Amino acid sequence: MTRAAPIAFESALAARAQNLNAVRSMAFEAFKRQGFPHRRIEGWRWSDFHSALRDTAFGPAPIHEIAPPLAIDLAGLKPVELRIVNGRIDVPADAFPKGIQYGVVDAVGTIPDLENHSIAALNVAMAKKALGIEIAEGVEFAQPIVIRHINTGAGFSFAQSLMRLCDGARATIIETFEGEGAAFYSHLFHLVLKDGARLDRAVIHETDGNAVVHSICAAKVEGGAHFNQASLSTGARLARHETHVHFVAAGAKAAIASAALLSGERHSDFTSEVLHLGEGCETRQRHKGVARDRGRNIFQGKFRVMRGAQKTDARMNADALLLSDTAESNCKPELEIYADDVQCAHGSTSGALDAAAIFYMRQRGLSEEAARAMLIEAFVASVFDVIAHPGIAQAFHHRVAKWLESA
Amino acid sequence: MLRIDNLHVSVGGHEILKGLTLDVPAGEVHAIMGPNGSGKSTLSYAVAGRENYDVTAGAVSLSGENILGLNPNERAAKGLFLSFQHPMEIPGVATMNFIRTALNAQKKARGEAEVSAADFLKLIRAKAKIVGLTDEKLKRPFNVGFSGGEKKRMEMLQMAIFEPRFAIMDETDSGLDIDALKMVGEVVNSLRGQKGDKTARGFLVITHYQRLLDYLKPDRVHVLAGGRIAKSGGPELAVELEQSGYDKFIEAA
Repeated sequence: MTRAAPIAFESALAARAQNLNAVRSMAFEAFKRQGFPHRRIEGWRWSDFHSALRDTAFGPAPIHEIAPPLAIDLAGLKPVELRIVNGRIDVPADAFPKGIQYGVVDAVGTIPDLENHSIAALNVAMAKKALGIEIAEGVEFAQPIVIRHINTGAGFSFAQSLMRLCDGARATIIETFEGEGAAFYSHLFHLVLKDGARLDRAVIHETDGNAVVHSICAAKVEGGAHFNQASLSTGARLARHETHVHFVAAGAKAAIASAALLSGERHSDFTSEVLHLGEGCETRQRHKGVARDRGRNIFQGKFRVMRGAQKTDARMNADALLLSDTAESNCKPELEIYADDVQCAHGSTSGALDAAAIFYMRQRGLSEEAARAMLIEAFVASVFDVIAHPGIAQAFHHRVAKWLESA
Repeated sequence: MLRIDNLHVSVGGHEILKGLTLDVPAGEVHAIMGPNGSGKSTLSYAVAGRENYDVTAGAVSLSGENILGLNPNERAAKGLFLSFQHPMEIPGVATMNFIRTALNAQKKARGEAEVSAADFLKLIRAKAKIVGLTDEKLKRPFNVGFSGGEKKRMEMLQMAIFEPRFAIMDETDSGLDIDALKMVGEVVNSLRGQKGDKTARGFLVITHYQRLLDYLKPDRVHVLAGGRIAKSGGPELAVELEQSGYDKFIEAA
């Protein structure tokens, strides 16, 4: 693996990396050996962090106490709100009823499944604290939990979240990545779903067009548990959203859906890997990317089905809609299968809006803009069916409508 | 009502219509018959304003107003409706939302009050009953998974709801059984009105077969061949064509 020349940003990080404990110090060494990933590294061809950060001179982000009110219309949902503002975790006292433990905890120091991932290593070195949430056995928490990641002003910040749903627990979380200003933000989310647990996770990424953002969700999904995730991203200067799911036991399910709406020069990269180890697990993955202007939509999805994962049923689809000649889309679906009794499929399409459909709709009286908006909305809408909570799909639709109006 | 004068239309640099002249007064139904490739669908698309159907000469007016400078949705708002030969499937677009949005866009363009969600529901349910579409079909994405006949019923549903001043029906009869043809006749006759009446509507029906005309009772029948109207006559012309074919018109053109 080639190491690109160190950049100014790395010396600011090195200054921050004084007096780390042994584990973090090792993680920082691992980062230093590799540097930020660049286009010559497998899996990073279309998301070159090294060159995106080359001319930046970020220092540590300032401490912000006050967060602006949530700019997302959650359509009347009454959520519990937790915040991570410029990497600083802000949790109100008594936010939750009995059965839910939460608070600021020490960040994890190892990332066994993400070796050779230099940004993950950097996060382990830099993030000292984590937002911890544990939902006790059998507790079904109906109110959505909102976790807002807010990055204001210039500067770098790192944070982690640790969440565990014990046997049979159920919860819904809504995460937002927001903020204004050129920032670098790295977030690592460790999730464990014990036997029969279910988590619905809705993620809205609407960061500043000058920001560079990297997020990882690493989910360990145990027997019969369900993990449902729907994400909507409007991109950033460089935004990469990674999802790593490990099915470690039998009969678990995951639905992973994502949509990217990209204008200007915004970039969004949804990269994922689902590792099937247990028997009879089911994965449904769907990505929809819409790019106009010089927007860039990237999707890399991989299913790995190991020898013991017989009867796996896994399907992946990635579709891109390009609204201008200068918009770009790169989709790479991959299957790696070692079991012989499985059903796996993937497909990928890319195209423009259907001119015949637009004419039909205009003949019925819709303006060209209205017809195009309706078709774009229809293209991405199926992504939001994944989350069962009423109102969240509506929140997504509001966001899509807002993007369509901003043309 | 719809007056077409010396219309020349090119598609991709090829001239398809070569001086077509036609006048359909309010309250009348005219039929256009003609061999494949004679320009029947080109005529419908050019009048509706589809891109790449270039009008190189001639005029088209609706109730005396030139419509050639208008875009497709402006023509729709003026009351021009096209029942498509091959209606689109539009995945992900909810049928009722689409039709209501389109209806209100037309009304807004005409300066009329929009229809409320409740009133629209009543309207679409009543019209769906007439054209033979179930509630279940209305809840699907637009035309998705519909048979050819169901798509034509969906065209008639929209015509019944929009109540256009002038409709071009491009092979609406293809894919329809006898009962459905009767339904098309009912929808057209309910909208048609009396000749000479200000609220009367006009229809231009493109077809290959006499059987739809049994229900529509056209006032005039025209033969389109070689990009022009080769012959016009009364309803008896359609019967004659069905017996003897288009051969003599192709030669004449």
